[in-house]
Amino acid sequence: MARVGVFVCFCGANIADFVDVPAVVEEAKRIREVKFAIHYKYMCSDPGQQQIRDAIVQHRLTSIVVAACSPRMHEKTFRKALSDAGMNPYLLEVANIREHSSWVHQKDKKAATEKAADLVRMAVAKSIANEQLHEISVPVTKRALVIGGGIAGIQAALDIADARIPVVLVEKSPSIGGKMAQLDETFPTLDCSQCILTPKMVDVASHPYIELIPYSEVIELDGFVGNYKAKIRKKASYVNFKTCTGCGACWQKCPVKVPNEYNMGLDKRKAIYTPFPQAVPNKPVIDATHCTMLLKGKCGICSKVCEKGSIDYTMKDEIIEREIGAVVVATGYDLWDPKPYEEYGVGRFKDIITSLEFERMVSANGPTNGVPVRPSDGKVPKNVVFIKCIGSRDEAKGIEYCSKICCMYTTKHTILLHHKVPGSHSYVFYMDIRAAGKGYEEFVKKAQVDTAATYLRGRVSKIYKKGDKLMVRGEDAQIGQVVEVEADMVVLATAVIPNKDNPDLARLLGVSYDKYGYMSEAHPKLRPVETAKAGIFLAGCTQAPKDIPDTVSQASACAAKVCGLFSGDTMKKDPMISTVNNEYCSGCQNCVKVCPYGAIVTEEVPMGHGSKEMRTVAKINEGVCQGCGSCVAICRSMAITLAGFTDPQIINEIVSI
Amino acid sequence: MDYTNQIREIAARLFSENKIDVFVGYRMTGFDENQVPVLIRDPKEVPRLVFNDKSVFNLTNYLKHEHTRGKRVGLVVKGCDSRSLQLLLTESQVKRDRLYVVGIACEGVVDDAGQKYQNCQECVFPDAVVFDEMLGTPKGNGQYQVNADIRELASKDLVERRAYFEEVFENCIRCNACRHSCPMCYCAKCCIDQESSTLYNGANTTSAAFHALMTWSLHLAGRCVDCRNCEKACPSHLPLHLLHKWNEQVIYENFQEHLAGVHEGDRGAFYKYSLQDPDDFIM
Repeated sequence: MARVGVFVCFCGANIADFVDVPAVVEEAKRIREVKFAIHYKYMCSDPGQQQIRDAIVQHRLTSIVVAACSPRMHEKTFRKALSDAGMNPYLLEVANIREHSSWVHQKDKKAATEKAADLVRMAVAKSIANEQLHEISVPVTKRALVIGGGIAGIQAALDIADARIPVVLVEKSPSIGGKMAQLDETFPTLDCSQCILTPKMVDVASHPYIELIPYSEVIELDGFVGNYKAKIRKKASYVNFKTCTGCGACWQKCPVKVPNEYNMGLDKRKAIYTPFPQAVPNKPVIDATHCTMLLKGKCGICSKVCEKGSIDYTMKDEIIEREIGAVVVATGYDLWDPKPYEEYGVGRFKDIITSLEFERMVSANGPTNGVPVRPSDGKVPKNVVFIKCIGSRDEAKGIEYCSKICCMYTTKHTILLHHKVPGSHSYVFYMDIRAAGKGYEEFVKKAQVDTAATYLRGRVSKIYKKGDKLMVRGEDAQIGQVVEVEADMVVLATAVIPNKDNPDLARLLGVSYDKYGYMSEAHPKLRPVETAKAGIFLAGCTQAPKDIPDTVSQASACAAKVCGLFSGDTMKKDPMISTVNNEYCSGCQNCVKVCPYGAIVTEEVPMGHGSKEMRTVAKINEGVCQGCGSCVAICRSMAITLAGFTDPQIINEIVSI
Repeated sequence: MDYTNQIREIAARLFSENKIDVFVGYRMTGFDENQVPVLIRDPKEVPRLVFNDKSVFNLTNYLKHEHTRGKRVGLVVKGCDSRSLQLLLTESQVKRDRLYVVGIACEGVVDDAGQKYQNCQECVFPDAVVFDEMLGTPKGNGQYQVNADIRELASKDLVERRAYFEEVFENCIRCNACRHSCPMCYCAKCCIDQESSTLYNGANTTSAAFHALMTWSLHLAGRCVDCRNCEKACPSHLPLHLLHKWNEQVIYENFQEHLAGVHEGDRGAFYKYSLQDPDDFIM
């Protein structure tokens, strides 16, 4: 005979204000199997837990029902209380009377109380059929995969590797560095981006615990926390990195010229190229979409000039596998294409450029050697108009959110223009100046004084051409008048958008993403670097727009999470997993199809006892199974049971109300 | 439609070439014009085989028979039967390399009165979709149409429909002939028979029959090929096709015009997810 103890929590006023807790206790006492029922102000507090522990011993209870908040909050707490009292922790059932009753039925106390009593009845009925379960321990592969080699990926990889944990760093492009490598100086201290980034890039390449796999993509991730298996496609570079010395003879002689992505297409690179001089690894790759040798079979100059014979036109994509325990996703951001701003003449007027193009121009290693020039005629501009919130905070044309970094980098751009072009003047059209961050407001204030830039609060309605100048017409809301500025060049602070590959990658990894394409964190405040899938962490702009300091902090936070995960040799896992009854399994393999974790495989078993003939049945990998129950629902033969959610438990629950 | 001679020739050839261990076909009952399935294991018995428009049963049901499991089997399939076979192959119940399939470009089979069965009149896939050898001239696929019975059923409201089925299922004697005659019911132990399944207790009550038949029809949703073996086997003459046709129609309309067993590897609406799937009926 089951002996159930029921413990109902007030949760301060959270439950007690909207649910008549003593009445719920009285209802619970009327259930035949309930031998003990009390209420307490905070069941999760130490005295609250002590009451559970005492009652288990005194009343010889066989299962426990705690009616309190969501099991997501305190199931672990109460399970521990049970084990402390010598009881199997999985004999606990939590009736969620806070999120499921008091919070959602605040207007009707009577109904909320009835529902709470029902939830308790169901939990009691279920708990009677609960079985003793034992935690599973699974081994951990202590190797981390970092996807993306921008500053977030670099920082995460270095921090993890410094803890002597091997890291596999996969970068899509030929070199690590990401967007930060394209920046000139960084706010708010104006230190040179390259100078602070490249030492870290070199550290990555030389670190004994980091395996850098450039020009590659993750194409598959199987398994579960601690035991993932990643398939990585190494794109054919047509250059043997082992023998290449990076001398540069090949790209100097290559006759094919292609717009240079690193310089935002402002100049040309060759078909065989290194993205930028400080690239890590500093080895060229052949762009197969432009190389005439690969397209038409004619040329082969790079192969002739290469002294080491490193060029191999027959190279194919290669798929490699790595066993890993955790993943840090650091895929970074893209910039929004301002084409929808037709009234600005985007695309028609050459002298309207984006902020990253401006950044490349003023960069010392940029296409114009650090001097901003007008793309139309190559003249140095004197009057430059900066327009902020292009795409950001624009529900009609762009996206709703604030891109967070544009206010600061536009301020930086006014300073850079002031430094590089004597006698120049900046006009900034803005909606708000958002300068929250250490030293940010001071930076903006100082820039406004130093550069004497004209700040105009308002939106630009139109840009038109007058001679070789651009006329920028907008509103100055502070004086309530339309203003027109004659500009030599216009710089658009385009919005930060997630990497375009994010949704595909998120699906591949099995993590969720929001409507914009940013991957979702497990909890916006308390678990900002974890995803809902255990062992997968987010760093940098993969999760939301961020500046460099925030990105680096989050990357280091990811590293701390990975190190924490790998601190033991094995990992404990909840025993709520599926098992197959071979006798009933008909081998239709529908469960294999629906399992989202790839946890089900097939095995051959004898047809009958001692039979030589074999038949196929499903087999569940207990390490991989996450207990979602999809297989249980799909199995027509009812051959699969999910521990903790067995048919008798569920039927008891249904029958009890 | 009479392929008796061809099928005898094929069976004799397969036995002589030692390609099969058993041939599944039809024979005359011996006391009337009707036919019953026969498993031929001895080449001498090949002349017993017949095939004409009285060959009504879906022979793929016999692939779960103890004399065919694991054996090399020759098999005659009409259009609808071949779709069951396609599903059995998809659901890993039979191995293709152990089968020699004689496909029929079917012209429809007839009942005792010489009338074409209703499902044959509405047949969408008369030609076998899986075969090694085809008999007859393929006619091509027809157009799926909602069955008249289903239209009538849909005109009733939920309460009336339930009342109708409760009345009909009152005659169920729970002999499970429907299940045994169904090629898709191959489970090692049916969920209805399992000791733990308190929901479908053995009691011969209307509610238990209702529950069991509903479960059965849902387990066949998106898998039933409308061969009507079940209906022909039912001693109480229950209109079992209504359950299946209803599901078929719902799935056809909501899940990209899915029909069971038409495409290789297609397990049906329950087993695949598509972004186009409707979710308006999910609460």
